[in-house]
Amino acid sequence: MSEIVLQTESLTKYFKDKPAVEHLNLKIPKGCVCGFLGRNGAGKTTTIRMMMGLLRPTVGGCSVLGCDSQFLTPQIRQRIGYVTEGHRLYKWMKIGELEKFQRAFFPGQWDGKLFNDMLEYFELSKKQKVKNLSNGQRAQVSLALTLAPNPELLIMDDPTLGLDVAIRRQFLEGVIHLITRQNRTILFSSHILADVERVADRIVVIDKGMLKADCTMEQFRNAIQKFVITFDKQTPADVNVEGAICCRSDGNLLEITVVNTAEQIIQDWAKNAGATDCKLVQMTLEDQFIEFTAPAKKGKLFDWEYKCQ
Amino acid sequence: MAVWIQILSGSNEPIYSQIVEQIRQAIAKGQLGTGEKLPAVRKLASDLVVNPNTVAKAYTLLEQAGMVTTKSGSGTFVADPKMRTSDSADMNILFERTDALIGRALNLGINRDDLIKMFSDRVNTFVKNNQRGQK
Repeated sequence: MSEIVLQTESLTKYFKDKPAVEHLNLKIPKGCVCGFLGRNGAGKTTTIRMMMGLLRPTVGGCSVLGCDSQFLTPQIRQRIGYVTEGHRLYKWMKIGELEKFQRAFFPGQWDGKLFNDMLEYFELSKKQKVKNLSNGQRAQVSLALTLAPNPELLIMDDPTLGLDVAIRRQFLEGVIHLITRQNRTILFSSHILADVERVADRIVVIDKGMLKADCTMEQFRNAIQKFVITFDKQTPADVNVEGAICCRSDGNLLEITVVNTAEQIIQDWAKNAGATDCKLVQMTLEDQFIEFTAPAKKGKLFDWEYKCQ
Repeated sequence: MAVWIQILSGSNEPIYSQIVEQIRQAIAKGQLGTGEKLPAVRKLASDLVVNPNTVAKAYTLLEQAGMVTTKSGSGTFVADPKMRTSDSADMNILFERTDALIGRALNLGINRDDLIKMFSDRVNTFVKNNQRGQK
């Protein structure tokens, strides 16, 4: 097992009496790109802010690059790139002033050429004032400012929120650029599963403040499977399958989504239940995530047939 | 020679398998000839904007299938066709696709004999074009 660069131990945060993050135990190994997934309000930003030492945990703690998050030294912070949600930058500064300001925190490691190349690529000039930039341009400046010091660990809180497809792609290119240099580690939260699938090799899923998955992308892709089972007549009323998280039936078809259940178990169950066919169907990462974190309620939100009657 | 690969993210087919499939196609069509060098893992990852481990996994699978060979230090090359192996999983994929094709053809009202003739004509054309491509 390679070195752990990010670790949380029963990390817990309460806001008044409401838990935002509960007993989170995470281990992010060096050299991976980790997608940090969770629905709105799941506790992603709270977790990231605690990792960066900006928020004090109620219980438990976390360490970054071997140092307790609450006592991060300037030397440790120099090795971390942190992109906050919404790309907040000082509005009164020009891009050139921002660079000067930022590089002062990273003596001897600022890659001025990379910064200039990125600005040129984004068609931005150092004379432009931050307050006159669009959301997308602010995101581009923020990416350039974060990559220029060549961070060992990059933590990004929903960096592509509200950005157009082209700028989103630039972010992904930035991630791949950084990861193809040796031993860089990246953690980023996002709601765009197609992006996560492209660049991440590891994923962490939290739901209602609790850890639901911390594994490689491949393990997650293999763990959640959907089967479509065909019966001669009506589907059985009682579906008792190991690891089932989601189950729908329509006439003689039964659709079951399972977590960590061997295919043979499902095939055997289907046979015993009198099914005529049992097929494994491939799911998209998005479907897997939805069924994993938001098991279907009875009925649908919009039931058109009912309304048409 | 460059390989042209298109990644469809958000698909139900994992990205590594999209890469494997398209490189296999390129080899089958003669766009990548025996002994030709594949792009380096990091280069392809960067071009496709995907994680380098995903590309590495695709190359490993291609190597296990005998489609390519890796020479340490110099890169990955298209293997001699004699070295290629196909396992039962490959054959299952092939059967599944052929079945889908047959079903579609029968739906269109093409009869059994016409379908067999059509299939054998297509195979002949493909092989002929492929040989021309490799010269």
